[in-house]
Amino acid sequence: MIEISHVNKWYSPTFQVLKDCTTSVAKGEVVVVCGPSGSGKSTLIKCVNALEPFQDGTITIDGLKVNDPKTNLPKLRSRVGMVFQHFELFPHLTIIENLRLAQQKVLGRGQEEATAKGMKLLERVGLKEQAQKFPAQLSGGQQQRVAIARALAMDPIAMLFDEPTSALDPEMISEVLDVMVDLAREGMTMMVVTHEMGFAKKVAHRVIFMDRGEIVEDAKKEEFFGQPRSDRAQQFLSKILSH
Amino acid sequence: MLANFDFDVIRRSLSYLFIDGMTFTLTLTALSATGGLIFGTLIALMRLSGYRVMGWIAGLYVDFMRSLPLVLVIFWFYFLVPYIGQWLTGSSRPIKVGAFASSLITFIMFEAAYFSEIMRAGIQSISRGQPAAASALGLTYAQTMRYVVLPQAFRNMLPVLLTQTIVLFQDTSLVYVLSIPDFLGAASKVAQRDGRLVEMYLFAAVVYFTISCIASYGVRRLQSRIAIIR
Repeated sequence: MIEISHVNKWYSPTFQVLKDCTTSVAKGEVVVVCGPSGSGKSTLIKCVNALEPFQDGTITIDGLKVNDPKTNLPKLRSRVGMVFQHFELFPHLTIIENLRLAQQKVLGRGQEEATAKGMKLLERVGLKEQAQKFPAQLSGGQQQRVAIARALAMDPIAMLFDEPTSALDPEMISEVLDVMVDLAREGMTMMVVTHEMGFAKKVAHRVIFMDRGEIVEDAKKEEFFGQPRSDRAQQFLSKILSH
Repeated sequence: MLANFDFDVIRRSLSYLFIDGMTFTLTLTALSATGGLIFGTLIALMRLSGYRVMGWIAGLYVDFMRSLPLVLVIFWFYFLVPYIGQWLTGSSRPIKVGAFASSLITFIMFEAAYFSEIMRAGIQSISRGQPAAASALGLTYAQTMRYVVLPQAFRNMLPVLLTQTIVLFQDTSLVYVLSIPDFLGAASKVAQRDGRLVEMYLFAAVVYFTISCIASYGVRRLQSRIAIIR
């Protein structure tokens, strides 16, 4: 589904953020990307739907090349859902309007159809009653669930999550993870940048460990949590799992 | 001293002052603000487009307009536009542009420069995650601007835009140099006709002051209301 092949990216001629990254996400697979801050994991996931440009290598989604100038990027992006660290709901629109906007403007759905779809997804994430409120009136956890619903409203073929719980208060993390776990169990193709190792243990098929712009480890979940091959991954795990 | 004042001249000229003069002033203000906002937004988008040539042209325009005294631009425009029109259409005579049309064009062009800087600040105040989220949903650049960025920028900048409009309302009195009967022009005509300069200019000042003050107060109240919503 998602093929990342030999991707290199430089912020400046001397500063390389991604070094020869190669990996893939198969249909129905859940891949967790972890690693220390500044390791390039967020940059990599943003390259997948071309929110960040990269200079070298290729990424294809469902056979379509992301970095081909001929690719219709808006159309491609509309088929890949993305959830951001800071939710990025549109603050001037109500919750239901947030869910409707792209359905109507990108997919050309009518108001009624978009509303029905939006309400169904809000019900699914447990926020049907909040439909008429504005994002600022919701808690962080609620906003992030709305953001997931907004992405799902586009009927995506895959979902990208960029640290979806890092900006949340601890007590709100689980309500967001629950939604993501359900999604994973339904067979959604997911690429998730996160530090939530509990989530990884529960539903991930594979874990990618990145450090300093490189994919250091790309292993099945059992192997990764059992005995990571690289020292750096071992150190990382011992630090974040020790508490 | 007041005994020598003839305040009745104001009462006698009220309908001329307000129905003719103030209507002109308010129409010119409203149309200039609207036009200035539309063109100003386009200029702001050009400046932020990332295309160097477009940004350069827009920047030059803004700097140029802001470096000239408004009254000079009004004057120049009134006398130049007919000739530019002649040159553009290749007609044998200067194109007749009414005083209203000429001053409207001037104010739109002038205000566009100011409004563009306000809108530019407004667009830049939106976090970069917002357009990113919009593109991630599949919205095109134009749709992202139209539905996500500009509505927020406009809302954030509304108090500043309105304050600038109040300044514009006062600046429209400069059409006086074209001897157009806007509110000030009308007052001055009456003043000179009846030899009642002090009364009429005093009255004009009171009217401008009152309207601007009430409008400023309205903007402040709006500002605090917007602040609560966010």
